[in-house]
Amino acid sequence: MRELTVLYDPQCGLCRRAQAWLISKPKYVELAFVPASSDEARSRYPQLNHDLTLNDLTVISDQGAVYSGPKAWLMCLWALREYREWSLRLSTPELLPTAKRVISMISQNRYQLEGLGSVVLRGAK
Amino acid sequence: MNVIVASYVFYLAISVALTVWVARTLHKNGRIFLVDVFHGNEPLADSVNHLLVVGFYLINLGYVSLALKLGYDVKNAQEGIEALSWKVGMVLVVLGCMHFFNLFIFSRMRRRASLVDAPPPVAPDAYTSVRGHSHA
Repeated sequence: MRELTVLYDPQCGLCRRAQAWLISKPKYVELAFVPASSDEARSRYPQLNHDLTLNDLTVISDQGAVYSGPKAWLMCLWALREYREWSLRLSTPELLPTAKRVISMISQNRYQLEGLGSVVLRGAK
Repeated sequence: MNVIVASYVFYLAISVALTVWVARTLHKNGRIFLVDVFHGNEPLADSVNHLLVVGFYLINLGYVSLALKLGYDVKNAQEGIEALSWKVGMVLVVLGCMHFFNLFIFSRMRRRASLVDAPPPVAPDAYTSVRGHSHA
């Protein structure tokens, strides 16, 4: 696997900040960002249900493997050099349910979390 | 040769012998770790192994040399042996710390190297067809 395509929600400030953070980090696997449900996304993945990608972050590998929701977040971490270890740790059977719950919660409240997220991500930089 | 000089001679002999023994152990047994870390690149593994051992020698012999001076007078053989025992004990503790530090470095390098080929953490939800690769 050489590249992962991230279908993100361009309406959400938190997602744009997360995108900027992902771009700035060294990677094992390249990340390409395409706005969810855009013309580009539709032409690249003609068989995908694009309405679903507006609700959940979606990551697609260059071989066409689709990861959505919390799995997509874990795949983004897995692509990063400094966070691959964390992605593996968070997906162990002990931690995966909690990780999924936390990620879904953040994702569902992403518009409300924008203000808070900007503070957190600025700190992380 | 008075007691203090005799204790210095014993101290140096014991400390240097211990350092050489630990360094050789590291050199011999660390190699296999490094060969694994560098994916079977033996010349590179040997080179890094040698460099690690050189650092190990420098730090330990430096400590042995700095810690030589006793700083107080020794009157008889009993006090000489006590002083010697204290000094050698310190060298052993420093060697032990260095040894574990080296092991820590080896294991961390090995873990880092294994991350490069780690498979994705989760299974995909579905597969879809991909049309072209226009995106740069």
